[in-house]
Amino acid sequence: MAGYLSSSIGRKQIVAVTGLFLTLFLIMHLSGNFLIYKGPDAYNAYAEFLEHLGTIKILARVGLIVFFLTHITFTALLVIDNRKARGAQGYAVSNSVGKRSLATRLMPYTGTLVLAYLLFHLCDYTLADHESVRSLVNGQNLGLYGLVYNSFKNPLRVAFYVLGMIGIGLHLVHAVQSIVQTFGFNHPRYTPLVKKISFVVGVGVAVGFASIPFYMHFCTMSACSLGGY
Amino acid sequence: MSKSINLTLKVWRQKNSKTKGQFETYAANGIDTDCSFLEMLDVVNERLTVEGKDPIAFDHDCREGICGMCGAVVNGQAHGPQRKTTLCQLHMRQFSDGDTIVIEPYRSRALPVLKDLAVDRSAFDRIIQSGGYVSVKTGQAPDAHAILVGKEYADLAMDAAQCIGCAACVASCPNASAMLFVSAKISHLALLPQGNPERETRVQEMVAQMDKEGFGNCSNEYECEAACPKGISVSNIARMNREFLSASRKK
Ligand code: HEM
Ligand code: FES
Repeated sequence: MAGYLSSSIGRKQIVAVTGLFLTLFLIMHLSGNFLIYKGPDAYNAYAEFLEHLGTIKILARVGLIVFFLTHITFTALLVIDNRKARGAQGYAVSNSVGKRSLATRLMPYTGTLVLAYLLFHLCDYTLADHESVRSLVNGQNLGLYGLVYNSFKNPLRVAFYVLGMIGIGLHLVHAVQSIVQTFGFNHPRYTPLVKKISFVVGVGVAVGFASIPFYMHFCTMSACSLGGY
Repeated sequence: MSKSINLTLKVWRQKNSKTKGQFETYAANGIDTDCSFLEMLDVVNERLTVEGKDPIAFDHDCREGICGMCGAVVNGQAHGPQRKTTLCQLHMRQFSDGDTIVIEPYRSRALPVLKDLAVDRSAFDRIIQSGGYVSVKTGQAPDAHAILVGKEYADLAMDAAQCIGCAACVASCPNASAMLFVSAKISHLALLPQGNPERETRVQEMVAQMDKEGFGNCSNEYECEAACPKGISVSNIARMNREFLSASRKK
């Protein structure tokens, strides 16, 4: 096991498997967040449901933190190695032969952007008080929904969320197909399909998440709530 | 129809692995476009020798694209601008009159520059020594048809066996990873019944040696496949990843 964890391929596979779980989390998180379109009642009930999962919630949180830290640690080890591997003298001219996409090139940077985004995001909602004055809409306390609603009235926050989502989208466009290759599956017929799926997942997650800040920014309480407020 | 072109060369010159190198500029006038790239360097070297200067050192052997000895980074691409072509098979008709050509050695911590454009590729030899072979039993040579090989496996194995070990994959990889080379060697043996019994120790030992030499890690950028003069597919890297995972699980 120690040999596996210190080998180039082992490390890469650890990054891939943790990345896979983080991606699955994102898809679940996005599906849950879509409840925001059903209005305050549905969304707050969902948050309430998550809040009261007890052991499952603790396990999920610990799991997410462990996966996230492992993903970052092993990626950092690989990136540091890779930077050194070229040697002291780099190329004067380097011309890609053609297959490197923008998403691929930017992986370490979009990863860092997502980390910065995530830290901000956790303080913003998860760790924030869900029933404070920040949840008041037209004098009514709308809980977590109200908090999200109010905070996205700030265009800077909308911009930052959208930037974060561009980062996560690009990250996933490369990542999803990369997981498949790293675990050893490459097939002349299916690999092009896997790459298309990867693109759709990346763009889908980014657009799906980014739709929420836009919606919350532009909707007014009477127009966007279906819950009778 | 051949014609004659005038070029400016910017060539990396370095005395030996201990010294620092630098670019030198040379005029290469009156180059026949039917020359190969290496023949063009021969012409330049003859002129340098007449002038009493040190000729440019570069590796070569077969000059017909099969031995894997030649190679340099030409205008930022390993083996130059033509795909699936070794430097010795690249011809000067790929260039135009007045072009400036930048020629650098392969850059990798694991392949140190010996002199000018020649790099030390013995790291590749050590990787092969660590497991890239089939242990030979003594006795009479077996009949050629004693072991049957399925056509699809034979095809895939032969595709992988096309690797000439030139190290263009390392040169073109943004991480200077040798995984295309190593995976081609692992694949061509693992796919054949003769290589099958040792496949697990082979993949573990070759990967360990590859890591020890200081090559980078694959980040699935696929520059190697595009730069490979033999068109070795990155599906070999996937196969190596799979082999490595299943060998590690059992150990
Ligand atoms: C516009 C997009 C997003 C919105 C509106 C959003 C909304 C939220 C909200 C309201 C919470 C708090 C839930 C609660 O405390 O009950 C939360 C938690 C969280 N979000 Fe997001 N999120 C978005 C995108 C993302 C992305 C891209 C990531 C991943 C990088 C992410 C990772 C997390 C994590 C890790 C938690 C904590 C989960 C937990 O502790 O149980 N979110 N999100
Ligand atoms: S010299 Fe043999 S491949 Fe180029």
